[in-house]
Amino acid sequence: MTEAHKVKITYCADCGYEGQTLDLAKALMLEFGARLSSIELIPWEGGTFEVSADGDLLHSMTRDGGFPKHGAIADAVRAHLSRQGRIHPE
Amino acid sequence: MTIDRARFDRGLTYDAYKAQMTRNRERLEENEQRVALSTEDLAAFSALPRPVKVLVLAEDWCGDVIANLPVLGRLAKDSGKLDVRIFLRDQNDDIMQAYLNKGQFKSIPVFVFFDEDFRELGHWIERPASVTEVRAKRRKEIFAAHPEFGSPDAPVDQLAEDVRVRLQAELVRVAHETSKFANAEVVRELREFATRVAA
Repeated sequence: MTEAHKVKITYCADCGYEGQTLDLAKALMLEFGARLSSIELIPWEGGTFEVSADGDLLHSMTRDGGFPKHGAIADAVRAHLSRQGRIHPE
Repeated sequence: MTIDRARFDRGLTYDAYKAQMTRNRERLEENEQRVALSTEDLAAFSALPRPVKVLVLAEDWCGDVIANLPVLGRLAKDSGKLDVRIFLRDQNDDIMQAYLNKGQFKSIPVFVFFDEDFRELGHWIERPASVTEVRAKRRKEIFAAHPEFGSPDAPVDQLAEDVRVRLQAELVRVAHETSKFANAEVVRELREFATRVAA
């Protein structure tokens, strides 16, 4: 059975993080295509930039500092999907 | 990085800055109307022996710019003693690097005050600490009153969308309710600065 895998990117809309959000979303779209059921962009506040996959927090600006490298997020998503049995790690 | 007359004059006037805004101009102008300046506030700036030049770093997407730049705009307009020039942060990184918040964050707005010979008199960054404290306290109260919002430290994307929308509405309400206090605190801090310079 195919499971739905959702990535969420929460970004501070008061901080001008739209560019970084869209760049990361595009990188994930190109990397994973239909293997992700959706990529949700959540405008928020307070300096937030967080990325999660099915509730697993992959990056938090507060916790990890700064913006994530696209490659690191792609690796984390791949590992997450692999754990869920969706794809094999490369 | 040195600010001289030629560089300063390349900045946008307050009205020119507003004219080039691509978003949030309405919010900025609403706050401009809301700013309450007392006779004493204006007297502190009118007492400045000479006009003070104020270099501003700003961007129209920034909430603190939308909230606090109009306070400076009103003080400049109503006192006639502040010559304001605004620079877009993302096109003037050399200036930004000289005024990083706590030496590391590109927080805006930044207001840098100069005398007529471009000697720096002081600078002001982002928002008063008192405003940050009050909003943090109100934020804690919101989470305490609404267990459905979960922990204030938990990722917000874990909330159901309808709950998240309600939390966002509460946060907007707090920002609105504290805006008068925030404006007054910005005026108070800038007034303290003006009084020091005039002395």
